[in-house]
Amino acid sequence: MNYVEWLRVRNLLRIVAIVLAILVVLAVALRISVARYMSPDTWVHESMSRPGVKVSHTTLPDGTPRTILNDPAESTYAIIDDHGYAGKHIVITEPSSKAHKENTHVSIGSIEVKESRNGAMTTTVIDTNGAVPMLYYMMLADFVALIVATVLAAPLAREADGHLEVTLTKPVPRARYALGAIGADVVGIVAASFLTVLALYFCQVLFESARLDFTGINSRAILMGLACPLAWYAMLCAATTLLHRSYIWVLVFTPAIAIVVGALTLITPTSVVALFIHDVAWVISRLDPLAYVSVPQPDEHGQLDYNGSSFFLRLSLQVLFFVVYSALAIWKWQRVEA
Amino acid sequence: MPAVLTVDPRSGVPIYLQIIEQVKRSIALGILQAGEQLPTVKQLAIDLTVNPNTVARAYRELEREQVIETSPGRGSFVRSNGVAESPKVAADIGRDALDVALREAKSVGLARDEIRELFDAALQRWFPTFEK
Amino acid sequence: MSTITISNLRKLYGRIPAVDGFSLEIPSASVFGLLGPNGAGKTTTFKCMLGLARPTGGEILYDGKRLVPETFERIAYIPERSVLYDWMTVEEHVEMMRRAFRSFDAARAFELLATFDIDKRRRARALSKGMRTAVMVALAFARNAEILVLDEPTGGLDPVNQRHVLSLMINEAAKGNSVVFSSHQIGQVERAAEHIAVMDHGRLVMQGVVDDLKADRKIVEGVFPDVSFTLDGITSDARVARADRTERIVRLLVTGGADEIAARLSSAGAHGVRVLDLNLEDIFLYAVSPATATTDVVAKDISS
Repeated sequence: MNYVEWLRVRNLLRIVAIVLAILVVLAVALRISVARYMSPDTWVHESMSRPGVKVSHTTLPDGTPRTILNDPAESTYAIIDDHGYAGKHIVITEPSSKAHKENTHVSIGSIEVKESRNGAMTTTVIDTNGAVPMLYYMMLADFVALIVATVLAAPLAREADGHLEVTLTKPVPRARYALGAIGADVVGIVAASFLTVLALYFCQVLFESARLDFTGINSRAILMGLACPLAWYAMLCAATTLLHRSYIWVLVFTPAIAIVVGALTLITPTSVVALFIHDVAWVISRLDPLAYVSVPQPDEHGQLDYNGSSFFLRLSLQVLFFVVYSALAIWKWQRVEA
Repeated sequence: MPAVLTVDPRSGVPIYLQIIEQVKRSIALGILQAGEQLPTVKQLAIDLTVNPNTVARAYRELEREQVIETSPGRGSFVRSNGVAESPKVAADIGRDALDVALREAKSVGLARDEIRELFDAALQRWFPTFEK
Repeated sequence: MSTITISNLRKLYGRIPAVDGFSLEIPSASVFGLLGPNGAGKTTTFKCMLGLARPTGGEILYDGKRLVPETFERIAYIPERSVLYDWMTVEEHVEMMRRAFRSFDAARAFELLATFDIDKRRRARALSKGMRTAVMVALAFARNAEILVLDEPTGGLDPVNQRHVLSLMINEAAKGNSVVFSSHQIGQVERAAEHIAVMDHGRLVMQGVVDDLKADRKIVEGVFPDVSFTLDGITSDARVARADRTERIVRLLVTGGADEIAARLSSAGAHGVRVLDLNLEDIFLYAVSPATATTDVVAKDISS
């Protein structure tokens, strides 16, 4: 009954898939061009695979396999601890002449590299915790999902834009048709998130082993990352059916307005005018699901915490937004006339 | 069925009357023989691009006047006495044409004698007799 | 099989009544033509019939029952303007109909599209107005619906394709389905319709069986010797719907008994009395044209 909407979803997901495929192809190209730099441990092995390097294996008390590479001729010593799914811990000790000039500390995704110079020798510690950085994945997936949500939004307004004679003469109650259309779009938005995460995972796996971790902050990221675009989508549906303007303009301007309003809430109220603007913006922004999402910041220990206590409240708000805004759109749809 | 039935929907004469007249005419001219089957209502409606109920009405009227007979499941056929009556049918057609002509002639104020003269002259044109 | 009963339909847009007390009974298994000038309320009536517009007053019943979503399985609709999706191909439209309606015959739809010479792989935005109408016609007639509601189904079509549509309508009638259509092409209505109704300013001004209307309605025309004459004895006859006079010429629109009234006109002193046939266009024009200053008899109810 909602074949038209499913077609829209399919056509859009095709485009998303193509864009993601390009991303993956670029990653593959990058991977090939840096083929020398494989996993940190293989690199270490490579660079140490000269005759004269002594390789030995032991097992730590907790069962972790340890590989020791010793090159006395170059005064280079490397220890590789393989914690399996928990990642690897690599310590390389080499003459400072071979290492970088300054101390470096780089953290990319799940790889962390710390170099520290101790006089004539430099120690490099490489940690990969091996887990997929689901939080960052979901942030990107969220961004993609928001775009998809905005493009798919207002299915009912689109029908009202010159197709009611077809849509309203189908042998299905109006509310059920509306729910079907919203349902198709929800599937599309979730699928877009899923495809993005899949593409990112594939890119990561090209470079290193990646473990899927759904605990703690990651599961929260997934939940909020799914709920937020859906709530945003529902808000756009309600806005387009209530505002009676050409729906395209609503879809184009609402993100801009949301950004502006959001920025205005960040004004520090230094004057009465600024306070007024800030308060008005704050009130308006209460209608916007995006205002309830916060990016977790690392605390003093460098750990990311996801504002634990208010998380479920804000997640429930997103769900509530979705339900209320969808209901508004459906209610309006019941009343529309050709 | 030769395509001798035509109707003019834009004429002021109802289509079903036109069909009736044309069927009678075809019989009078021998185009439709005794026992010959007429097209089905549906087929004639499609051929002429007219409403089937109009055709059905014409057929009902022709049956009432005993010009055709319809057996359910077999179709509509020209009656034998329909053909035997072709002189009668021809007479009907002729009489109707004369009525129209006379009404027109009278309406413009011609008198009976004048019409008679005109009629004889017309007869001479249409059925020339070569008299000495 | 379904009889459609429209009772006292009223539809206001703001303060303007598009339909103002319109009642009609559309019998089943027939072709019903709805005629009227632009703005008469035909499209609004169709929309109310299909639940696309909510009537301000009155009701429309299908076989005595109100319209519910399930009823749409039996109704096919061709709206006045194109409602195709620009971004979808013709094929995708066929698929959409196939999934929405149980009795949709996709093979027949493709047959009809081929008749109209439409490439099924084309997107709707690449189709001309006539081709879009043809697509809507193909989709509607492949529905196997008991009731077809067609609002100007030949808009934008060339004469050959107009004939195709007419044949399709007649085919449906032959199958025992109901067709309700509106058209400005009176010639088409004359061919296909068994019943007609004429709407003007939101109201019914005339209805009847086409053949009967043509058989009964005539113009009785006569010329009087001078301008001083009276028609009172004649125009009081209920069958005289209108009397128009231009100087010495009188034309009476009669709804029956033309010969008798012609004789009376002769007796009243008119010369050259003759009875003129009316085709549907004439009947329609008389029904919707206002009485002029020279009309003696004004607006008798000739709606039956």
